[in-house]
Amino acid sequence: MQYRQVAVIGGKGTGPGQFGTSLRGIAVDAISNIYAANDSQITVFDAAGRLRRRWSTSQPAHSVAVAAGGAVYTGEIRQIEIFDGAGKLVSTWRDETLLGPVTAIGFVDRDVLVGDATGRAIRRFDLSGKFRNNIGRDNPLNGLLVPNGVVDFGVDARGIIHATNPGKHRVERYTPSGELLGHIGHFHGTDPAGFGGCCNPTNVAVGDRIYVTEKAGPRAKIYRFNGELEAVIAADVFDANCKNMSIAVDRQGRVYVADTVKLAIFVFEPVAV
Amino acid sequence: MSEHFSRRDLLHTAVRGTVLATLGGGAGFLIRKAHGQVVWQVDAARCLNSRLGEVGVAACNLCTTECVVSLSAVRAVNEHSRCGRCNICPAYFNITSAVDDRGLPSEKLCPRDAIMRKPIGKADPEDPANNFYEYLIDEEKCDGCGKCVMQCKEPLGLGSIVLRIRYNRCVDCNRCAISTACPKDALIQVPVEQGLRNDGAH
Repeated sequence: MQYRQVAVIGGKGTGPGQFGTSLRGIAVDAISNIYAANDSQITVFDAAGRLRRRWSTSQPAHSVAVAAGGAVYTGEIRQIEIFDGAGKLVSTWRDETLLGPVTAIGFVDRDVLVGDATGRAIRRFDLSGKFRNNIGRDNPLNGLLVPNGVVDFGVDARGIIHATNPGKHRVERYTPSGELLGHIGHFHGTDPAGFGGCCNPTNVAVGDRIYVTEKAGPRAKIYRFNGELEAVIAADVFDANCKNMSIAVDRQGRVYVADTVKLAIFVFEPVAV
Repeated sequence: MSEHFSRRDLLHTAVRGTVLATLGGGAGFLIRKAHGQVVWQVDAARCLNSRLGEVGVAACNLCTTECVVSLSAVRAVNEHSRCGRCNICPAYFNITSAVDDRGLPSEKLCPRDAIMRKPIGKADPEDPANNFYEYLIDEEKCDGCGKCVMQCKEPLGLGSIVLRIRYNRCVDCNRCAISTACPKDALIQVPVEQGLRNDGAH
């Protein structure tokens, strides 16, 4: 399968729909609206890349996710802010112990999953914010090795959690209760099917496949669930100094990648060969 | 009066001797310098090998070739507080070399084999990917070539390895030969107190 770039959204600047100093997280909802966690705000674009709305967060935004009901969860440092779809603050979860930089948020069953970069774990909370269990911590020995400072994961249609373990050059599979089921990936410095450098992949999204990004050199790749590499996307469009590029995929298979230096969202779609 | 000076001098010498014995030759060099004087040091933010934004270029070797001291007074040091303790450290391994049967790169990066590592915490001999590692640089072997520094810096690494002048080797030239050759003006003079603060990592 091959992909072609179809759009670039945002970019560095102070104008409407641009990003000032950071672009750390992106998400897409069921109708391909695009949510960016940039600077200290959430910026929402429609599927065509037009700015729809934006609102401020109380701290710099590190991640964003959209729940099935439309609530927008924003990961910050030691807290999560939950907004309705219009940007009105509904709730704030603050936890000095279980939350460091919240670098990813997802949903499984009726629970909320939170990537905690300080604890190197995925924290599972119920919808009221009550902690349930850890995922990926101390499993089987040293847990998630994240020298890059980001815990990221995606959830597939069966409720299996696919978490990057960049220090081990893997994407690991966990049950919501934290049981390690297996992994895909291995280190390789030159073979595109492997993950190179000190710590890759850094970010992941899950749809009908596993979508990852790597740093040094920055690129996006697509794997089947059995670990077979299917495609390398656009290794040449990202700034060479990019790292921790958030990635998202919509229901049409379009892939969204956040360039953390150019502060732009690159959009790719599959093309028939 | 003379006895007073003698006792004070004796006390001064004793204290200085204790400090020197404790801190070693490099610190001793700095202590012999008076407050307010300056020493040469490498500014990591300017050094081609460590500054951000320089990707896809070969490591600069001028600190090795230009220093008037044999085997250069510049050394690579690892600031452990910033080190990611990675299993596949791009400063330790040649990460583009063939992968061996353990899943690790088969070659080391350092041409002088000056970087050592040891597992931290619970070591898993059957799965080396389960371990963190502490990386140490043998300063008797290192010649400051900067290859490890270039590989460690962002975005590939975390930039914990930097080049630094070691004062037990530096002869304190008025005009440092490396500073004359450095294309980035990365050799700067800093207050002696700052040099002392930075003299610990290895």
